[in-house]
Amino acid sequence: MPRRQLVLLLGIVALTVAASVLTVVWRNEPLLGLDLQGGVSVRLVAVGPTDEAMLDQTVEIIRDRIDGLGVAEPEISRTETGVMVSLPGVDDQERALTLVGTTAELRFRPVCRMLNFPGGATEASGTAPSGPASCALLDSGEVVPSVGPGGVTPPEDDHPTDFVVLGARTGSPGARYVLGPSLLTGEAIAEANPLFIDYQWQVGLDLRAGRVGIDGFNEIAARCYVGETSCPRLEGATNGRLAIVLDGQVVTAPAIRAPEFKADSILISGGFEKQEADDVSLALRYGALPVELEPENTRVVSATIGEDSLRAGVVAGLVGLLLVAAFIVGYYRILGLVALTSLAISGALLWAIVAHLGTQSGLALTLAGVTGMIVAIGVSVDSNVVYFEHLKEDVRDGRTARSSVDRAFPIAFATIVKADTASLIGAGLLWALTVGAVRGFALYLGLATLLDLVATYFFMGPMVRLLATTRWFAEHPRRFGLPASGAVSTPVSPTAEVIS
Amino acid sequence: MSRLTGLYRGESSVDFPGLWRRAVMASTVAVLIGLASFGIRGLNLGLDFEGGTSYEVRAPGAEVADARAVMDDLGAGDARVQVVDDEVLLIRSDIEDPARAAEIRDALTTRLGPVEAFEQVGPTWGDEVTDKALRALVVFFVVVALYITVRLEWKMAVGALVAVAHDIVLSVGVYSVFQFEITPATVIAFLTIMGYSLYDTIVVYDKVREIVARLGATERYTYPELMNLALNRVTMRSINTSVTSAIPVVSLLVVGSLAMGAAALQEFAVALLVGIVVGSYSSLFLASSLVSRLKEGEERWQAVASKVRGRIGEEGPTRVIGRQEAVLSDTRAAPRRSPSGGPAKKRPPVVRPATGGAPPRPRKKKKR
Repeated sequence: MPRRQLVLLLGIVALTVAASVLTVVWRNEPLLGLDLQGGVSVRLVAVGPTDEAMLDQTVEIIRDRIDGLGVAEPEISRTETGVMVSLPGVDDQERALTLVGTTAELRFRPVCRMLNFPGGATEASGTAPSGPASCALLDSGEVVPSVGPGGVTPPEDDHPTDFVVLGARTGSPGARYVLGPSLLTGEAIAEANPLFIDYQWQVGLDLRAGRVGIDGFNEIAARCYVGETSCPRLEGATNGRLAIVLDGQVVTAPAIRAPEFKADSILISGGFEKQEADDVSLALRYGALPVELEPENTRVVSATIGEDSLRAGVVAGLVGLLLVAAFIVGYYRILGLVALTSLAISGALLWAIVAHLGTQSGLALTLAGVTGMIVAIGVSVDSNVVYFEHLKEDVRDGRTARSSVDRAFPIAFATIVKADTASLIGAGLLWALTVGAVRGFALYLGLATLLDLVATYFFMGPMVRLLATTRWFAEHPRRFGLPASGAVSTPVSPTAEVIS
Repeated sequence: MSRLTGLYRGESSVDFPGLWRRAVMASTVAVLIGLASFGIRGLNLGLDFEGGTSYEVRAPGAEVADARAVMDDLGAGDARVQVVDDEVLLIRSDIEDPARAAEIRDALTTRLGPVEAFEQVGPTWGDEVTDKALRALVVFFVVVALYITVRLEWKMAVGALVAVAHDIVLSVGVYSVFQFEITPATVIAFLTIMGYSLYDTIVVYDKVREIVARLGATERYTYPELMNLALNRVTMRSINTSVTSAIPVVSLLVVGSLAMGAAALQEFAVALLVGIVVGSYSSLFLASSLVSRLKEGEERWQAVASKVRGRIGEEGPTRVIGRQEAVLSDTRAAPRRSPSGGPAKKRPPVVRPATGGAPPRPRKKKKR
């Protein structure tokens, strides 16, 4: 038995140390929320007439779009003329702008030609005109796409039924796509998610059913697969390409590698970085805003909570922690030290996770999050208290301390699991069903609860059981905050409870 | 004092069932006050929920504290102040009345600098966020009720939900009565309270379930008596947990009151403190009394109750189950000894160790 406990103990300690070291080495730091450190504020003005309802809907879509990035806890509000979005700690103002986006509509257009690409793919092949507008119309000069300054079709000429020349949303600035008329709109897309498959980042698409969804898409796919003139093969390629265009920019233009797709198993791959896959999925998922927005300005804003408040909060947290430590050790003596170490372990792991998510996924740590963690301290301590009180109870009932240690842990742990499961259910549901700050709270609650279970099972339980095998424990129960013996005066042997 | 030391030694003998009636009455009054205040005064919703006015003041070099001082003088101390690009102060306040807003604009112009932009802003915490959160809460209550029903029993699910609702009404009531401003952080505090209260109630219920499973089969104690024993045994845990949870919050309250401009922290701490105290109280007094009331009506427990009454005469105050009785009656502790199937044995003479008296001397060495 002690060996097993030892393994668990060493495992959790090693894990904690490793997590802490990695956090330092990777320079992971929690991303502080808008209220704590400020960020970037983007002011968008609506083009054309709007009303409050439309702006509210816009706010909602932008919130979804940013929530899709993680739990950045943006501040989004309607203004008299548009929308104001503030994001915590975004250093790169350009990125803030693209995140917030200024979306018109998402369209699927076949690629007729690609110009100025590093590889130099230009010419299209295939001649026989049939079906939808053929790219051959371009070759014969019957149709000339309108091209404005910068070599692309200006937004006012970007009609769904016309041939257009558009640039890519990201990537080489000179590259141009010559695109056919729109065949499908963003309505077709039900869901889009970044996926890590076959060691590379891809974007998984779910389409809706019916003509505006998968059926329409398959019709196009069949043409592009064989390279019909409406969706021709480009030079050196075996299939045609279908561009997905957002707000006059090509998000991605994948080659169609199959004649038919199932609605929920379409994958776009293309050597994406994780961030690209994220951005592409977001753009696909949240297509159109009800109003067209134009960025007016992007500015750096300071924290909403004064530095004095912040300092007060930190001081309060430290003082509180010290007092808790004093109380626990004063009350439970050596068991109290075990409880504190257990707390330190779950705290270190929580910090590592929060710092990692903050750096990688834009999880923001707001005042609410900090306070949630302070309260989580109380709940984590409770797991220890439940066990220790059970232990004392058993000892008073006449058991030896040593046998109580083994007997009480499973019972106490079962209680803790029951209570924590309720918290986890709450955290999971709130995470799945809500938006904004509530979602951030749910994440912290869930993490803290899980880590509480981990620290209790892997550290606190084994540690107490290991201590219980020492002579010291048997001889000085008071040093462990346990009563010296049971209140029952009948002699008690460790093996059988005797009633005489 | 002797009661305290008794509590520490686990000899506490609080007559919980005797206190239930008073607790239920006190809670009912508190809940009614909370609801009445909510109905009449409503809540003081902040900028994030209602929107307000935003001012941009060009004041290079000005500090947040300067702007806050000015706004304080104008009676809008809860304004949110940010520095934009180091030279503009962005001030947002929840004042919606255009005349008042214009007054403030003029005052800002004279005292800080030219107001460059001045407009109404919408809420950042829109109705949509609230709607989704409320829907999620309803789902959450249903799922948790099912969960408690499966793991414990449905009567406990009812008790737990009533206790949680009580805690939320009281916490929100405090905000309504004192008209503290509700911010997103406050809402998070309410959610935290909810989670804490539920957690606490389940811990208490699990103890009750454990005690009933151990001593229930003896048919010697009525349900409230068993409940009383369980509550007494879990009291120390509840107190310790509340204390450790409350210490950081109290510290936030004290330090917050010493520091300037930390009013937000203070109100937040008040909500949490009320929630923690009320959460522990409702688990011990409300959730348990409700379950006890529901269980008493069950046939099994009515039979036990009438049997017990027949044996010891009329109902007095709840008999307190002493430690020795509890251990002796522990059906698990002496499985081989318990008479199989026979009628309940005569009650053993009650040898209750005197509370606060000298406990038996510890044996110096255990022979192994």
